[in-house]
Amino acid sequence: MTTETATAAAGSKAAGKGKRKYVVGTRRQLDAAELAATGLRDRWYPIYPSRFVGTGDMVKVKRLGVDWLLFRDATGQIRMLEDRCPHRSAPLSVGQHLGDRVACKYHGVQVDGQGTVVSVPGMPGCALEGRTVTASLAVAEGADTIFAFVPLTEDSEVTGFKLPDRLDNPEISWFSNYAEWISPWRYYMDNVLDPMHGAFLHRDSHSMFGGDTSARFRIRETDRGFFFEKTDQRGKNFDWVEFCRESMDYVDLEIPYAESAGPGGSFGIVGMSTPIDENTSAVFHWRTRTVSDWERDVWRFMYKATLEEKHWAVLEQDRELLEALAADADRGEHLYQHDLGVARIRRVHEADAQKQAAILLDGSA
Amino acid sequence: MLEQYLEANQSRVGPPHPYEQKLAGALTEIFASGTHELPAIITGLNNLGLNAPDGQPWDEARFRSEMRRLGE
Repeated sequence: MTTETATAAAGSKAAGKGKRKYVVGTRRQLDAAELAATGLRDRWYPIYPSRFVGTGDMVKVKRLGVDWLLFRDATGQIRMLEDRCPHRSAPLSVGQHLGDRVACKYHGVQVDGQGTVVSVPGMPGCALEGRTVTASLAVAEGADTIFAFVPLTEDSEVTGFKLPDRLDNPEISWFSNYAEWISPWRYYMDNVLDPMHGAFLHRDSHSMFGGDTSARFRIRETDRGFFFEKTDQRGKNFDWVEFCRESMDYVDLEIPYAESAGPGGSFGIVGMSTPIDENTSAVFHWRTRTVSDWERDVWRFMYKATLEEKHWAVLEQDRELLEALAADADRGEHLYQHDLGVARIRRVHEADAQKQAAILLDGSA
Repeated sequence: MLEQYLEANQSRVGPPHPYEQKLAGALTEIFASGTHELPAIITGLNNLGLNAPDGQPWDEARFRSEMRRLGE
């Protein structure tokens, strides 16, 4: 189901023991606010749909504020390098794909999938040859998606990759969906930790027309995160969400389908947001249903023929609202009981950002 | 400025065939009436005047086979 390659995360040569610790791909330190804005490190993120990078393709993507090159080598293995030639920093993405390596367009320097300089054609034998000086990330593919471990520093240890349970269960059928939103990633997290917006923003949707427009919520701890759920309603609207902290941070939730969506009951969603930069996000969803045999085939047909567009309309309601929010929309709010989930996720991420900023500072002592 | 990727249909290539739209519409109508069992769904399709791809009335084998093809 998944393939994974672990490669060293080579950082800047200034980093190292007793020296300044830089964030991989940035050549500088970031403070807690910058880390929170551009994305917390030391975790796996979904990067891009697998179908967008065919064998022999080179694709430039920005994630967590850094330009990366995705390329699929001649054997089909996906590689992810910082999009920057170690020689004079030209983007590797404008160079040439040479099967197992890429060649920079500027001076022909060749870098392999691990970030090692394998040839300097202009100066054979040059000391740069054989050195691993381009940041390369550990990558995995599964659920139709390319994932990568985005390290904080070059000393970061790559953690094991694990798909969310819902995407790694043969009894569950899923479709992936990808979108780019001009909205900070933290707004995505706030939105999904706020189930109550379903009964208002999505009232006229195919799936969230039912249920009460008032509720009481509670937080319930789980071994992988926490539930934020209505105490008085389940199975009628967007009534609960689980924030899961495994090798990736993601949300897991279920929303009822109308009878017209066919057999199989509620559908499940796995949702993740990867920062592109501080103002834009790559948004990944998997729509799932626990169905087998002919019911599985019917759901897949119905999804492709009619349901996907309905799901998309709901997602667009979220996007349009979040893109309309001011850059400081999460300052000076007046939260109420329904926002306990929002407050909790903000605290979790703020603590992470502080912790990661402290690691960077310790390295410069 | 980011050129935003916003694509409503990502699970299929191109617009659905009119036949598929008609079939999905009929199934939506049948499901909306609360029918979720296979024999009743097949009866529902036949009552709506839709034929299987070979021009014959739907039966279980034809329905399973066509859904397998369309749901791939």
